[in-house]
Amino acid sequence: MAKYILKRIAGIFIVLFVVMTAAFFMMRLMPGGILDGVEENLSADMRDLIYAKYDMDKPIWEQYLLFLKGIVTEWDWGVSLKLYVNVSVWDILAERIPITLYLGFLSLLISVPIGIAFGTLAALKKNGIVDHAVSFLVVLFISIPSFVMATGLQYFVAYKWGWFPLIYDDSLPRITTTFLPVLALSFTPIATITRYLRAELSESLNSDYMLLARTKGLTRVQATLRHALRNSLVPVVNVIVPAFISIMGGSLVVESIFGIPGLGGITVRSINVADYSVTLASLIYYTLISLAAILLVDISYGLIDPRIRMGGRKDA
Amino acid sequence: MGETILKVKDLRVNFRAWAGTVQAVRGVNFELKKGETLAIVGESGSGKSVTTKAILGILPSNARITSGEILYDGKDLTKLKEKDFYSIRGKHISLVFQDPLSALNPIQKVGKQICEALRKNEHMTAAEAKKRAVALMEDVGIPEPETKFSQYPFQFSGGMRQRIVIAIALALNPKILICDEPTTALDVTIQSRILDKIKDLKEEHDLSVIFITHDLGVVATVADRVCVMYAGKIVEYGTVDDIFYEPAHPYTWALLSSMPDLDTREKLFSIPGAPPNMMYPPKGDAFAPRNRYAMEIDFEQEPPFFKVSDTHYAATWLLHPKAPKVELPEVLRHRIQRMKEEREGA
Ligand SMILES: Nc1ncnc2c1ncn2[C@@H]1O[C@H](COP(=O)(O)OP(=O)(O)OP(=O)(O)O)[C@@H](O)[C@H]1O
Ligand SMILES: [Mg+2]
Repeated sequence: MAKYILKRIAGIFIVLFVVMTAAFFMMRLMPGGILDGVEENLSADMRDLIYAKYDMDKPIWEQYLLFLKGIVTEWDWGVSLKLYVNVSVWDILAERIPITLYLGFLSLLISVPIGIAFGTLAALKKNGIVDHAVSFLVVLFISIPSFVMATGLQYFVAYKWGWFPLIYDDSLPRITTTFLPVLALSFTPIATITRYLRAELSESLNSDYMLLARTKGLTRVQATLRHALRNSLVPVVNVIVPAFISIMGGSLVVESIFGIPGLGGITVRSINVADYSVTLASLIYYTLISLAAILLVDISYGLIDPRIRMGGRKDA
Repeated sequence: MGETILKVKDLRVNFRAWAGTVQAVRGVNFELKKGETLAIVGESGSGKSVTTKAILGILPSNARITSGEILYDGKDLTKLKEKDFYSIRGKHISLVFQDPLSALNPIQKVGKQICEALRKNEHMTAAEAKKRAVALMEDVGIPEPETKFSQYPFQFSGGMRQRIVIAIALALNPKILICDEPTTALDVTIQSRILDKIKDLKEEHDLSVIFITHDLGVVATVADRVCVMYAGKIVEYGTVDDIFYEPAHPYTWALLSSMPDLDTREKLFSIPGAPPNMMYPPKGDAFAPRNRYAMEIDFEQEPPFFKVSDTHYAATWLLHPKAPKVELPEVLRHRIQRMKEEREGA
């Protein structure tokens, strides 16, 4: 197991390196640059001076090596070039990551139990009116992107009804001021988990081991809880990663809509103004957190399912 | 033997399916006597499993018992509610499934699966339940039961898993054990070992057994009496000797002729055609279209049971006094002859 985890972590580093390298070159090879929009007002000397300060007078591969050297020797991720000129990228990220993670985890924390509850309800009442209602909502929520939800919630709940602040407000308790964005981010994961559990659970409810559990003399509730539900929760771990990653993706835009000072908002802005170093660092952060989430799930999946834990076949 | 422990009367079960109503069981009658092994044989789809599920009240939700009674212990099981079954399943009537590979919960230790019934129904402590479970595992012939107790189903072979399923079925000391093709999924050597085990356990635990199979060879080794089932009905029943030496229904003849015989390596006879679609059960005798002895009346009117002997009845017009005399098929006559000689020799 330890060897497996080490191998996976090494894999993560390789992927990060590749992403970082590709992104570094791609961004710099794209048209435009940090002086877009102000170039006309600068003298040639000034321009050369600025380029020299950020090593941009050197060939790209040399810039890349310097960048790598900075990270390896001093954990120096460079400085912001446009948004917060000369502020260390690392500091910018460190300040913003917590609130983005807070949004993501809170949304996940809400989505998982609600999704499980709805999925269970739908499977137990399969083809009944409850199931149809749930399935309808699932389709609705999966197809409406979170930024549309966010805009809708902001307009109705915050602006029209005034129940929650329109945009992020530092002076309010965090839970109040992030309530709407978290809600907006949760619809899709709730729907995903509901749909998945409904399918898994209806299958296990019809399984032979469920029938055996009942012929043993267990009550229907006992058999459902101890066998069908427990077994169908194991594979649900599989959708939690995609759900988390989609929440993270959603928060890119949702943060901007609600003006939340998180990583999502600044990533979008840094792309707009070609603040290379901020974009690159947040890209790496997003890659890292996705890969780590996948690893975490793979490990926990192995711990939950004895067939994988003990090296048995999955189909047994 | 003699006292009736379970009686099924005119049981009919329908399935509401997407394309219409499937009449899976169409008036089944049989009695299980105390201490006997009753075999129910018939081709795939003849309604054997549905009958057993009806007895245990575990029919799927799209099934309806449309008529009939299942009498056990003064109760009509067809009238019971789900919660009335909790005290019957496992404790009075137990079921061993067709497929041991999927019957066990794949992610729960087998020991726990055996103990579960003991803990929930008998309110044993964990230690008591474990002791009993290990004894049961020993009973059904699992080597090193202590170690195996905390292993998962995927660590067991098919035959061993089936033994676990049998141990679970026996855990609460049931009166009736229903085995629904318990060996179909297993290879031949394992099969005969499991059958021997079931026979031993039957003696030890004083069980009455309903043994479901489509393999007449298995019937000969385990059963006292046999019901032959076709298209949702029982078409012939009698003692094992009645059925093997004096079969009266053409469907039984066909089944017996299609039984593989290792000694002679004769070419196997296979029954022509296929069983009817139970969405539209045919008029008259359901076997008539595949029966080369069928008479006109077979296509018109359903045959009643005719008595062959006190223990032996068959539903075929061939037994009607006015029916023409029909000889047993040649192959079968030879077979029966040989079986009789073997028996006398033995
Ligand atoms: N859930 C169901 N929905 C609809 N029809 C069903 C269902 N279960 C069984 N049937 C039908 O009932 C009939 C009898 O099925 P059953 O399982 O009792 O057969 P069987 O005699 O046990 O066969 P086998 O030897 O293959 O186990 C079949 O025609 C089958 O199509
Ligand atoms: Mg069956």
